[in-house]
Amino acid sequence: MAAVGIVLLVVGAWMVFMLGPSGEAQLSATSKAPGAVVVPAGVLNAVDVPVRVTATRRDGGAVFLAAAAGSDVAAMLSTSAVSTVSGVHFPAGRLDLHASGAGALPDISNADVWRLTASGRGAAALLVDQGKGPEQVVVTSGDVSALSDATVTLTWDNRAWFFEALAMATLGAVLAAFALNDVWQGRAVPAPGDVAQVQTAEASL
Amino acid sequence: MTRREVITRGAAALRARCGDLVRTDVITQGASALRLRRDDLTRVVRVLVGCVVCLVCAAVIVSVPGWAATHALLGIHQAPTASTTSPALSVDQAKKILARAFTAAYLGESSTGPAAQAQLRTAYTNEGLRGANGRVRLASVQPAAATSPLLAPDPKLLAVSRGFGFPRFIVAQTVPSDGGLPVLHLLVSPDVATPYRITMSVEMVPPATVEPFDPLSKGSPLVTDGTGLAVAPATLLSRYAAQMVFPAKAVLKAPLDADSFSGQVRAGAAGVAAAVASQATFTQVHTVVPSSVYGVRQAGGGALVFGVLVRTDSFAVKADQNVSTVGNKAFVLLTGKKLITKAASITTLEFVTFAVPRSTGQATLVAAREQIVAGSGS
Repeated sequence: MAAVGIVLLVVGAWMVFMLGPSGEAQLSATSKAPGAVVVPAGVLNAVDVPVRVTATRRDGGAVFLAAAAGSDVAAMLSTSAVSTVSGVHFPAGRLDLHASGAGALPDISNADVWRLTASGRGAAALLVDQGKGPEQVVVTSGDVSALSDATVTLTWDNRAWFFEALAMATLGAVLAAFALNDVWQGRAVPAPGDVAQVQTAEASL
Repeated sequence: MTRREVITRGAAALRARCGDLVRTDVITQGASALRLRRDDLTRVVRVLVGCVVCLVCAAVIVSVPGWAATHALLGIHQAPTASTTSPALSVDQAKKILARAFTAAYLGESSTGPAAQAQLRTAYTNEGLRGANGRVRLASVQPAAATSPLLAPDPKLLAVSRGFGFPRFIVAQTVPSDGGLPVLHLLVSPDVATPYRITMSVEMVPPATVEPFDPLSKGSPLVTDGTGLAVAPATLLSRYAAQMVFPAKAVLKAPLDADSFSGQVRAGAAGVAAAVASQATFTQVHTVVPSSVYGVRQAGGGALVFGVLVRTDSFAVKADQNVSTVGNKAFVLLTGKKLITKAASITTLEFVTFAVPRSTGQATLVAAREQIVAGSGS
């Protein structure tokens, strides 16, 4: 019981620390390989909470983000150079990128397959709601020029996570406190042999 | 007590004293320093060791990717699988596409020049673009009511594609603000990179109505063959085209209710043939454009079938005859010729829409429109 309590306490406290009061989980990666960056459905739709995808270019150039059905994105970029998010490290906050393909990017901005789009100079953000999956997000320059040295950040905000972690830590603390107290109080209960010794000592006086 | 016994007892006492100092007495002294009993201190040390082990376990659970702690707390799960019953477009997306296409179509048809041509190419595709170009080119000689079916304030979205295959479509309806006949529009996107464009806009034929489609939240499936229908879309259109040929031939009739459009076309052909009989021989053929045939399944199990026929009016001028074409302003505008001595032809696109019932019964013509697009003569 004490062990379970302590584990819950530590895990809960660690999550409280990592998520903060806003319940924010943030992961990012910088793509050095030229081409588009793709956030696949396995990452984008892994949590039932809207995810904010932010892309930033160091050179301040145009950024275009778009979300569409996974099959449409795959068809659109089938021959293009892309860096795909292949791994997520939480709470480290890192994303792994896997570069593939070598072809030029098509101009994807005119297609009608995009459910959501956002664009900007230097940076742009797209809030992708859940329930329409599986979807993928594509980050490009908005035209046929390749994107390079772009940082993609995924942010999930859910205050419930903070309170869940807090509840976990509190529950763990309570469990651990009761269990340790029980262990502590156990030493005050004299063993039957001890009682006999005490009585014997008193009799001998 | 002998000297030897004194030494032996002293050595034993010293050993016992050293052993206590090294082992037992350290704990005892520590316990007394903490004002605890020796057993209590032992218990505290054991609890602390257990806590450290728990902390290590917790750290491992938190830091190792894929372990249950973070997944359970954050609710991480596998991505959902693609649904085959989802629409390809949301209602908002479809309405934006309609607004874009209709705006471009209106701008393209209401102005001239390269910009207008670009607008037409943005709005229309395939036979739709060909028809729009013909309409713009012949605007000065065609009835005003037929210049644009797009002067409607609020298009009604009837159906969107179900699933994520291609081609994808949007079916919409507009009712002209001047009280004209409702117009059915079919927009098509042939592949992932090509936006939706109008492939046909057709005025409905009174008193035809359009049966409801599946809800927009589900989308409507494209009919790829005649399964479950009274007649396959391609078969219907090819028979419809064959039965309108002039001079008439014995052909297999389409399972189709009598319609006013084909009656007018046949009557028109007969009239033209009679009018030019002394100077030329007139023939007329209708050919289905295979890529133009689309069938959209409706909620009741039937389908709304769209298609385009190419009508070719051919005139073979008899020997020693000259035919004046001044009366046909569209022909003169398209060819620049006012006198024909050998042969002439006029190409017209016929946009038609049928309601095909489920399993058995007769198809009915719902909408039809024709547009002259080309002519030639010598």
